[in-house]
Amino acid sequence: MSDCTSHTSEANASIGRMSRPEAFTQNIDVSTLVDSDGGLIDRSIYTETSIYAQEQRRIFARSWLFLAHTSQFKKPGDFFTTFMGEDPIIVTMDKTKTIRAYLNSCRHRGVRLCRADAGATKMFTCTYHGWSFDLAGALQSVPNEKAYPEDFDRKQWGLIEVPNVQSYKGLIFGNWDKDAQSLEENLGDMRYYMDAMLDRDPEGTEVMGGVMKWTLEGNWKLAAEQFATDWYHVNMSHASALMVLSPTGRGPKAEIAATPGRQFGSENGHGAGFPTHPKSRFDARPVHEYYDYEALRERLGDAAVEGPMTTGHATVFPNFSYLPVNGSIRVWHPKGPDKMEVWAWVLVDKSMPDEVKDAQRLYNLRTFGPSGIFEADDGENWSEIQAISHGFVTNNVPLNFQMGIGSERNDGTYPGQTSELYSDAAGRAFYRHWSKQMNTPAWHERTEQA
Amino acid sequence: MINPINIGSIDDIDEGEAKVIPSDETGTGEDIAVFHAEDGNFYALNDNCTHETASLADGWIEGTEVECPIHAAKFCLKKGTALCMPATQDARTHKVEVSGNDLLLYPNVPAEPVEA
Repeated sequence: MSDCTSHTSEANASIGRMSRPEAFTQNIDVSTLVDSDGGLIDRSIYTETSIYAQEQRRIFARSWLFLAHTSQFKKPGDFFTTFMGEDPIIVTMDKTKTIRAYLNSCRHRGVRLCRADAGATKMFTCTYHGWSFDLAGALQSVPNEKAYPEDFDRKQWGLIEVPNVQSYKGLIFGNWDKDAQSLEENLGDMRYYMDAMLDRDPEGTEVMGGVMKWTLEGNWKLAAEQFATDWYHVNMSHASALMVLSPTGRGPKAEIAATPGRQFGSENGHGAGFPTHPKSRFDARPVHEYYDYEALRERLGDAAVEGPMTTGHATVFPNFSYLPVNGSIRVWHPKGPDKMEVWAWVLVDKSMPDEVKDAQRLYNLRTFGPSGIFEADDGENWSEIQAISHGFVTNNVPLNFQMGIGSERNDGTYPGQTSELYSDAAGRAFYRHWSKQMNTPAWHERTEQA
Repeated sequence: MINPINIGSIDDIDEGEAKVIPSDETGTGEDIAVFHAEDGNFYALNDNCTHETASLADGWIEGTEVECPIHAAKFCLKKGTALCMPATQDARTHKVEVSGNDLLLYPNVPAEPVEA
């Protein structure tokens, strides 16, 4: 099995054939809103509509965005619908068994072509007038086609394809920029941290059941940033959950509450943090008993087993996050500056016996997901931040990301620049990259200038 | 008397699947789809949907009906009857016979009337 697959298409020379006035795409210089060296963030980046619109153009239209897991597609015609930023997307397996992604909007009058969450089909047919597209995105049928002008060419009206689809160890990502740096290069050192979850089993991973979806008040970055950088909140926000899970019922021992650990931050905005204390783990017992830790040490190395394989957290910039301990993988879909939709899957190793997979699924539901005792704490914090952020004075008071400033270094054990577990280093890296992307024209702007 | 054409073994078409016999073999000027329905029997209709251009053989076979893969019109495999919009014209049926292991198609001979 190869670690990576990729599919690029030349389908979209331009997004559309009409030109738009510049007033639609006025860009804001965000350099004064993010002080990633000094650790200050202006709250307007979570609330301003114009910044949110710019994110759609300069973050979501040009970043590698998680689409789906390869195990969701077994035969041609299997499909899954999702979003890239606010753009609706169909992900499907074509007749050559290649994973392809299309804008889920009919080329005729724009209706969402496929409204099912997932399924199997032979064609994607619009429910409005019946334009019908095959698995390769080609327009195959136009009712009453004879009434169209002579120069009407169905070839010109195929689905808008996501030109760059690549996968890493089962995780499929899409990018609207066909010339984007490859997914693997973009992940860089982050792959080491991801492998601690994705590469435990030589057979790879699969997702179980469907996708849990819920809506939260809160800007998408609040969640993405926390999963990149924030172990700091654990003992406070999750105090009651930690007490329930501890053997004594009074919470973890002091040495575990103050566990050492590392936090990785990437120049591409990715981040991961993890304790390195051997007893700081809260995995499900059947899963813990299933693993052969000696074999894992041989496969992944001691440092990965003692670090990122444990109770860690991580974000792949911009909005894909995961938790190795319970196999939660999730996307924070932006739904306006004030709202996000969380889509969460349960990831398990393919080789796990069914009862271990099921134990992981149940453990996942108890801890994270809409009914999870940890997830509820996090959602409450993000919604609380957002709910007050539109106050004029409130909005003008910057937020603090100064923990561990200057602590980033190469520690000789963990790849890339790492800081302490309790640190805002990956958060600063996340916003540094966000700010850079927001201030750099994207592929669609370069096309316009050419 | 029209001679049937031998279109192969009954094992060539799994239940719930269909096979297209191209027009140069059918001699009718039209492709014919031969369906292996979920009642275990074989039926044949003109392959092209009566609504727009679409291969019914690519459609979904449910019981003794086929649903067009493009606009979801349904046809009775036994009688060719158009069962729902957007199709308004029935599909043409052709007689199919099983002889031993062989499937025999009688192009342009309507399927014998059966209880729907």
